Amino acid sequence: MRKTLLIAGLFVCFGLPAAASAPRAQQEVVITIKDGMPMIPVALPEFTLRAQAPAVRDAAALIAQVLEADLKFSRVFQLLPKSYYGYIPALHPDKIVFKDWESIQAKYLLTGVVGEGDDGTVQAEVKLYDVKGERFMLGKRYELTPKSSVLRRAAHEFADEVLKAFGERPVFSTKIVFVSDRDGNDELYMMDYDGENQTRLTFNKVIDYMPAWSMDGQTIAYTSYRGGGADLYLFRFTEGRNAAVAATGTNFAPSFSPDGKKLAFCSTQDGNAEIYVAQSDGSGIRRLTFNKSIDTSPTWSPTGREIAFTSDRGGTPQIYAMDAEGSNVRRVSFGGTYHDQPAWSPAGDQIAYVSRVDQVFDIYVLNLRSSQIIKLTEGNARNESPAWSPDGRHLVFSSSLPGTNQIYGIDYDGAGLRRLTSLGNNKLPDWSAR
Amino acid sequence: MKKPVCLTLALMLAVMALAACKAKVKEVPPPPQAQEQPRVQPAAPPPPPPPPSEEEIFKSKSLEQINREQPLKMIYFDYDKYFIREDAKPVLSANASWLNKFRSVRVLIEGHCDERGTEDYNLALGEKRAKSAYDYLLSLGIPAERLQIISYGKSQPFDPGHNEISWQRNRRAQFTIIAK
Repeated sequence: MRKTLLIAGLFVCFGLPAAASAPRAQQEVVITIKDGMPMIPVALPEFTLRAQAPAVRDAAALIAQVLEADLKFSRVFQLLPKSYYGYIPALHPDKIVFKDWESIQAKYLLTGVVGEGDDGTVQAEVKLYDVKGERFMLGKRYELTPKSSVLRRAAHEFADEVLKAFGERPVFSTKIVFVSDRDGNDELYMMDYDGENQTRLTFNKVIDYMPAWSMDGQTIAYTSYRGGGADLYLFRFTEGRNAAVAATGTNFAPSFSPDGKKLAFCSTQDGNAEIYVAQSDGSGIRRLTFNKSIDTSPTWSPTGREIAFTSDRGGTPQIYAMDAEGSNVRRVSFGGTYHDQPAWSPAGDQIAYVSRVDQVFDIYVLNLRSSQIIKLTEGNARNESPAWSPDGRHLVFSSSLPGTNQIYGIDYDGAGLRRLTSLGNNKLPDWSAR
Repeated sequence: MKKPVCLTLALMLAVMALAACKAKVKEVPPPPQAQEQPRVQPAAPPPPPPPPSEEEIFKSKSLEQINREQPLKMIYFDYDKYFIREDAKPVLSANASWLNKFRSVRVLIEGHCDERGTEDYNLALGEKRAKSAYDYLLSLGIPAERLQIISYGKSQPFDPGHNEISWQRNRRAQFTIIAK
């Protein structure tokens, strides 16, 4: 058992001396932390095969591989090195010797048994055990068509069950909506959290833009130029149709409130970019900001009581927060000349945003309690549009780093950078809440 | 001593006489100006069929053709800014006089930005640029109902490059004729 806090490489440098004279002093701190939290060691030995058909073997391998990737991604669990399994007798799924697994420092054990089902399906039984308590925790039996998307979904579902068993918020069945020009012009696409199953959602000859998930994952609000102007639409999965919300002026940057009842967005319907709030179906539009400058990019606090947004009322774009009714506006970002695209973390204690410094755009995270700022991305590129995972341990964003615009994922502390897209240009990701 | 007095008197008289003469000359009216006679034009040969007027040419063309010829020129903006630059004013004046010539034309003013801004802020900034051009054309007497604005932010660069020249070309307001 390792309960020590492993902080490998802690680099702290204090930049921006001007920040000290800012109304509320903030320090820009660059921190690189690996293994910031003690993670739960889990053993995931090879799945047991009940049949030797290639479909069964491939399915077992794929489910195990997806489960492993999910658990590694979680930042909650760590997988035991596979070499450890050689030190103990092979696993018998029906007769587990917990002492063996404890001896190689496994706290939890995941087992899988895969065989043939009816009508060419694959049957998979996956179980989670508490090694120290020597008890069965949870198990699922799946009857699956041996298609990769189906097998992946089953693995994600089980990994979510594992997370829930530890009181964590499920993330592996969540989706990322984004904009891609891979088929010629900007359209909405959707993919699994890990970049798999990229599918197209809209089919227009015009720009579809800036998608945002509703809390229940049933609706995506987005901007489309299909009506001549830049109007706001709702894409509903259940009804398979699009409904127009705001159609006067330019309407964009939608954001659903955490209770799912309201939709904040930016609109120029009164002649200037201001923030508005409507009911989630688009009715009852109400204006929140009254200012000659640009107000845009609203994002809700998880309590739904506040909205952070961007405004250049102070001369340059900066991040502000206000009460959800539009009162009590206060500035949140200091020390730079270009801050935009705030994204309030699910726990409410942090705001991720984009800062432009010398033509380089990077993602930063501001801790609202300590006023400490962490720089998440590095590279001579444009890193933009941060969006949080529902568990607040990960973010997605778009980056021009590879020469084209692509979507990347990164952990809350700057670790685990991974590229999720490669076809065409991809941007404006938003992570579903469920 | 009488001689010099007489001489002086005679000299004075002579001078006075001369002066009187001069005054008389001044009173002579100037000679009348010669009137120019209008010349009679020789009879012209029957004129060829008159070339189609600008109006007729304009009417014969499709919207697409007209837009391709770009009778309305783009204007450019400073980085992060949306005010009308001095170099843009004559362009807008020329655009306004073209619009005054073809009074049925309606125009969509598109605001664009370069890639060095976030998607959200650039969409708002593009709108501000389109609005600046719109306001300027209004001030030149173009009626509001002939103008519409839209912002594309940084989603439709004019120049795909990633350098100062491309960025300047992309920070623009562009005029598309949507009705004639």
